[in-house]
Amino acid sequence: MSRLSALGQSLGSALQQAFLAPAFLYFLWLIPIVILLYLLKLRRTRVVIASTLLWMKSLQDLTANAPFQRLRRNLLLLLQILILLLVVGALARPYFKAEGRAGRNLCLLIDRSASMQTMEGEQTRMELAKAEALRMVDEMQKGDKTMLVTFAENSDVLSELTDDRSRLRTAIHSITAADTRTRLRDAYLVAHSLRLTVADLHAVVISDGGIADLDEIGPRNFGQVREVADTSTEARARGYDLSFLQVGTTSNNAGIVAFSLREPEQGQPGEKQSFVLVHNDAPEPLSSTVTLSFNDSTLAVEEINIPAGEDGELVFAHPELGTGILKAELDYEDALPVDNIAWLTLRPAAKIRVLLVAEPEAPGAYFLQRVLAPDPRVELSTLPPANYAPGHTADLTVFYNFAPPALPSGTLLFINALPPIPGIGAEGSLDRPAVIATDSEHPLMRFNLNPGNVGVSTAQKLVLPEGAHTIVSAPGAPLIADVSQGGQFIAVIAFDIAASDWPLNLSFPLFFQNLLAWVPRSALAEETSVDAGHPLTLVSRPEIAEASVQAPSGEKERVILDPLRPVYFSNTQDTGLYTVNYGEGDTEKFAVNLLDRTESSVAPAAALSIGGGDFRAQRGHVRQNRELWRWLLGAGIAVLALEWWVFSRRAWI
Amino acid sequence: MTVDGASMPHLLEPDFLRKLERLSIAARHVQLGLAKGERKSKRKGSSVEFADYRDYVQGDDLRHVDWNIYGRLDALYLKLFQEHEDLTVHLLVDASRSMGFGAPSKIEFAARLAAAIGYVGLVGYDRVSAEAFSAAGVQRLVPCRGKASAHKLLDFMSRIVAEGGTQLEQNTKSYVIRNRSKGVAVLFSDFLDPNGFEGCLKRLRQSGSDCFAVHILSRAEIDPAITGDLRLLDSETQEYVEVSASPALLKRYKENLSGFCEAIRRFCLARGIGYIFAPTDGPFDRLTLDVLRSGGLFK
Repeated sequence: MSRLSALGQSLGSALQQAFLAPAFLYFLWLIPIVILLYLLKLRRTRVVIASTLLWMKSLQDLTANAPFQRLRRNLLLLLQILILLLVVGALARPYFKAEGRAGRNLCLLIDRSASMQTMEGEQTRMELAKAEALRMVDEMQKGDKTMLVTFAENSDVLSELTDDRSRLRTAIHSITAADTRTRLRDAYLVAHSLRLTVADLHAVVISDGGIADLDEIGPRNFGQVREVADTSTEARARGYDLSFLQVGTTSNNAGIVAFSLREPEQGQPGEKQSFVLVHNDAPEPLSSTVTLSFNDSTLAVEEINIPAGEDGELVFAHPELGTGILKAELDYEDALPVDNIAWLTLRPAAKIRVLLVAEPEAPGAYFLQRVLAPDPRVELSTLPPANYAPGHTADLTVFYNFAPPALPSGTLLFINALPPIPGIGAEGSLDRPAVIATDSEHPLMRFNLNPGNVGVSTAQKLVLPEGAHTIVSAPGAPLIADVSQGGQFIAVIAFDIAASDWPLNLSFPLFFQNLLAWVPRSALAEETSVDAGHPLTLVSRPEIAEASVQAPSGEKERVILDPLRPVYFSNTQDTGLYTVNYGEGDTEKFAVNLLDRTESSVAPAAALSIGGGDFRAQRGHVRQNRELWRWLLGAGIAVLALEWWVFSRRAWI
Repeated sequence: MTVDGASMPHLLEPDFLRKLERLSIAARHVQLGLAKGERKSKRKGSSVEFADYRDYVQGDDLRHVDWNIYGRLDALYLKLFQEHEDLTVHLLVDASRSMGFGAPSKIEFAARLAAAIGYVGLVGYDRVSAEAFSAAGVQRLVPCRGKASAHKLLDFMSRIVAEGGTQLEQNTKSYVIRNRSKGVAVLFSDFLDPNGFEGCLKRLRQSGSDCFAVHILSRAEIDPAITGDLRLLDSETQEYVEVSASPALLKRYKENLSGFCEAIRRFCLARGIGYIFAPTDGPFDRLTLDVLRSGGLFK
């Protein structure tokens, strides 16, 4: 019995390998029905003859020799069965894997991530991938179209679906590998959305398979839930006509996958530790050294031994280093050099300039000074409202019981005052409002801050402008609201903190900690390394209008700054040090690193798991599903015509 | 007397009748007749043709004593003369429904043949007896002699209707029992009898007459032109057989048919029965004049 079921399973999988819609093969049950109908409903012409004696004998002679003589001899029935077979076969969509790309619309998804810089002999994987892409473009036939999409951290459409080969070649030649990690999702989304409009589209992923975000790609991401019952590998993915063309063979690489500066858990004050994590992807054990240097002077060289396929970590202890560039370098020559070096920018924590505009004698101002002044990041200055002029700028301005006529730059907090924003207003007041809900997702409400037990005697009944966001709400009106606009962070507290017991509550200092963290410039203090491909956050004093960014390659790029909000510089495709020059000798350095285990693991993947389906790696020529249903249907029609001819002639005996 | 051909429009033409008058029935064996006729009989009789001598026994007619011999040898011898008697031509026509098929129909063809043979017999002053039979019944012609009866014969033959099933053996047996006179017996049939053709031929042979079997088949039976899927209905038994016409089936049918004819021919040969194969679409004149003559029926 088990053997029978195993046979059934193997037959089922064989059918799945040969047909795209094997369920239609159930229609083959129609064949016995056709035979039955034929036998039952065959219209025979009645002919009276003298005697059937000899006929009966002749028929007996024939049927004695062949039991299915009646069927075998009947061409029409055979033709009908043949038609049924062909039509059912066409419905079941048989296919075979064939090389080449005739008559196809191709969407080439080309990996240009850091791992594509891996040397394969004399060439990089990027060059191999480009050669494959060029070959596919050369194989284009009349009517074929190709689209080019590259993907790394970001995806770029290099060419729309076109049959212009020279344009495609130029685009392919222009592809260079970035130092970033690999994200396929966006490129896949492009290909998938194209599928909806372009019939017969085949996507080819040319990659080494080291893709970080495969889990995020799937049918569900596209709002098209495919209920899939069977778990067979390719069946589920068949809806997506996709091939994975693998480039690269080597796995000879080791790289730094983590580099950070930290406080030692036990140690002298002022002592620091640099932590370096190295991944050895090579099939042999790694024995090498890691050099740690600060501002180009070597701090330490330590030996590292890592078994094949494992990680090794090094911890360098050193005194506080001050401002400068800390660099870790793996002294090992492998196929991928880009991950052998990592940087950290060390700088003193940038001070956050906080301006408190309040009557110094007001009781609320006391609490505000007490909560803001002790923070080491804060440079607090207090100004009575009478002395406030629009020219006063700070990273964070807190207005207490006072609102300026116009919004200053920087992050703003209004306490018991209405910011000069169109649409905001107060309609009366709330007496003893109870906190009924808080938005715990908001950055100001981090650390599960819960001001639920705060007692407020009276609060303004705020009317918020469109686009505003309530952070803490009371029945009928918000108590704390985020009214940020145009990228400038603005928060409003609708009550006088002195008329509440909030300053005595633990949530009060935590809220202001969150407020300081909300200030964009606070990010600078923490940011010591940026992932390649991620943007640099440029925040400067409002008076500086522009800056220039110098990439590791030496190229300079001008960036227009915005006094109100941070500006993001996104062209960080290369690892290394980016120098931002704000003018007047004011420079800032950013370290951009790869630090990605997926990229450092250069061994090519055997398959891509996308949308629940495994696409096995193919090398050289892409083998595509070539469907046969058109031929079968054509043959069916031809046989139908033949049957009609036979039927109309009836001369064929 | 001549027979008016116009009264027999379907059977025999006057010209053809005149040709027949030059023929006579060939009896291969000398038989005993019923009445005086024009054929030698086994009996010794009163003709002028000397046959033999025999000893005188008491009671013999003294007129037949050869007195010349008595004068020479002093012994009484009787002079015997050859007796001439008539010959009975038995015409047995299978009138089953299957004989009604073909163009011209087999029964019509058989009737014409029988009429021609009977006419030759009548002209030869032979006694002609005819019977058409099937399971539905028997149609008889009262035995007749002389050319004057030709009208009766032709009339009978033209009235034969093909109906009922085939009962060759039983009908033949019944005829043979009722008609004991020996002579020439000719059976016209297609021999398509579910019970076989052997029985009737045996019965016919047992009658002691010179026997002839005229096997009549129509063109549709010899070379059937059927196409497609057919339900062939037997005209007599109402049984049917469903065939899908194919070259193999037709080939097999023709093989079976020729085997069937050959079996009848061999059966007849083994029993001294003359076998004459007569397809209905053949030229009637030629068949009658040449084939029957070569088959030994006419001389």
